[in-house]
Amino acid sequence: MMHQAPTDMTVAAAGPRAGQGYLSLQGLTKRYHDFLAVEAIDLDVAQGEFVALLGPSGCGKTTTLRMIAGLVPTSGGRIVVAGQDLTAVPPHKRDMGLVFQSYALFPHMTIAQNVAFGLEMRRLPRMEIAARVAEAVAMVRLEGREDRRPAQLSGGQQQRVALARALVVRPSILLFDEPLSNLDAKLREEMRSEIREIQQRLGTTALFVTHDQDEALTMSDRIVVMSHGRIEQIGRPEDLYERPATPFVARFVGRTNRFTGNAHGTTIRLGDLAVRAATQRSGPVEVMIRPHRVALAAAGCVPADGLNSVTGIVRRTTYSGDFVQYLVDADGLTFMVEEATVGHGRIAPAGTAVTLTWAPADTLVYEAAP
Amino acid sequence: MTAAAISKVSGRDADFGAAPIALMLLVPITIVNLIGFVLPVANLAILSVSEVRSSGAMTGGWSMAKWLLVATDPFYWELLWNSVRTSLVITALTLAVSYPIALYLHRSTGLWRNALLVMVISPLLLSAVVRTYGWIAILSDQGLVNQGLMALGASEPVRLMFNLTGVTIGLTEILMPYMIVALLAGLGRLDPRVEEAAATLGAPPWRVFVRIVLPLSLPGIALGSLLTFVLAISSFITPKLLGGGRVFLLATEVYDQAMVTLDWPLAATLSIIVLLVFGVALALYGRILRSIG
Repeated sequence: MMHQAPTDMTVAAAGPRAGQGYLSLQGLTKRYHDFLAVEAIDLDVAQGEFVALLGPSGCGKTTTLRMIAGLVPTSGGRIVVAGQDLTAVPPHKRDMGLVFQSYALFPHMTIAQNVAFGLEMRRLPRMEIAARVAEAVAMVRLEGREDRRPAQLSGGQQQRVALARALVVRPSILLFDEPLSNLDAKLREEMRSEIREIQQRLGTTALFVTHDQDEALTMSDRIVVMSHGRIEQIGRPEDLYERPATPFVARFVGRTNRFTGNAHGTTIRLGDLAVRAATQRSGPVEVMIRPHRVALAAAGCVPADGLNSVTGIVRRTTYSGDFVQYLVDADGLTFMVEEATVGHGRIAPAGTAVTLTWAPADTLVYEAAP
Repeated sequence: MTAAAISKVSGRDADFGAAPIALMLLVPITIVNLIGFVLPVANLAILSVSEVRSSGAMTGGWSMAKWLLVATDPFYWELLWNSVRTSLVITALTLAVSYPIALYLHRSTGLWRNALLVMVISPLLLSAVVRTYGWIAILSDQGLVNQGLMALGASEPVRLMFNLTGVTIGLTEILMPYMIVALLAGLGRLDPRVEEAAATLGAPPWRVFVRIVLPLSLPGIALGSLLTFVLAISSFITPKLLGGGRVFLLATEVYDQAMVTLDWPLAATLSIIVLLVFGVALALYGRILRSIG
């Protein structure tokens, strides 16, 4: 069943028109016996665009990437790059660069030999190979380590070698299969900006598979959210976050309050509580409210006109530096509220009576799942 | 904190703790090897320089006669060369026929892989004698191969037995399981992702094989070849039966000298020479392993 967008705002589709992309997936399908791993996916990516495939494990994102690389045969649909149908072309003739989660460096070759491999396969002259290897090694800041073996490098360095090896051939499309999952948190953030910066500098079209929403939000021009082999939503990071098309997207991207209720026009009953939304709806619904969209004030404050307002008691307060998270019990419901810490702002301790307010437009309403 | 946790925290203590345990575990096998291997070899070395009368009885004195004989008689040099060459040919053939099987096994998964593994290893459950008789049934003048050839109109049977050809065919098949298992162990470090990476970088399948699969399986090739060579040069049942006394190799000569001629010192001398060949093969293996890193 299709969910409807919670607002009637037309989402500005930043991507190319259907079938017009530099990379165009048309009805791409993968079936394993009775199991549909990827179900008729349509996606168009513009040249130079950075698109993330985001979803939980088993959602078909990696299978999609591997079909594009030619490592997994398709069960249906087409893969078109720059107007050329590559669906039946073997991987070594696809001219794509793939960066693996496990790096997949050649353990018996030096760093320089690893990076040179793709150029040797293209039978470039020795001089040019040497020059381009040096350039690629410099780009990932590994000068002086050309003669080491992969096992002698740290995980982050190995992943930079893998990046250089994929980039040096100037592939038509750069594919990333969860490349940062094996790195520790700090290194991961460094690598994010490094990959993004290099990709933008070279203007390479990139498809990036990840299950990490932060990675997808911070790196991508557009994000494709996948679930159970299907695309839930395609959009810019802010579209996905502010206007999630389905409850799945709302849950998967960012934190959210989730309630079930009954809609009558713009009014929704959540148990004993009545809240207002910006859209008309009737019947059973699922309601999502982003925790940072809810403002918290001392009980008794008079809310501005038109805002939703709920009174409750703070059950728990969690301070985490840049924001404070409150769990507030109100009329049998528990609200998660997040407030940015501003200077010496007061932090409401547990037990404080508070008023929660938010705009009707921030009440995201979805038809309840059957 | 438990003792195990403590030893994990401080590496130095762990070293002190682990070394004596490893040494203690080595004690039984060391004793067995002393009695079962080192002592007999020492005994052989002594025997090879013992003086004997023409009747074969030992005098209790010392003599370098057998070593001198082996060093000066071209027959023994030829014997050595024959054995080494035949074993090398068998090793090369075994590698050539086992490699595709090992690679296929490495790539297969699940029940099919287990079934194949059983099929590869099960010949080891049969004695080499039985398997050699099987080869006689196939290779003899009235065997399967020659019957087939005659049916196709050949006028004379092809000599496949009582010569080096038969010995080579028989030993190659008999030694294949060892080679396959060694190759499989070596292929364990071949990550399919690495092959995929090579393919996406523009390498067609045959170049992936030459540049990635083959170099990464070299340690397995070296180990399998060492095993096969050593087993080939020391086997005597198959050369004896398929060679029919017309194929002279070091191992069969040791048997003949010890059991037929009863010249124990000569048999001991030849045994020590086989041992020296092992040593050379092992040293070579070590060098190859170091050079492929």
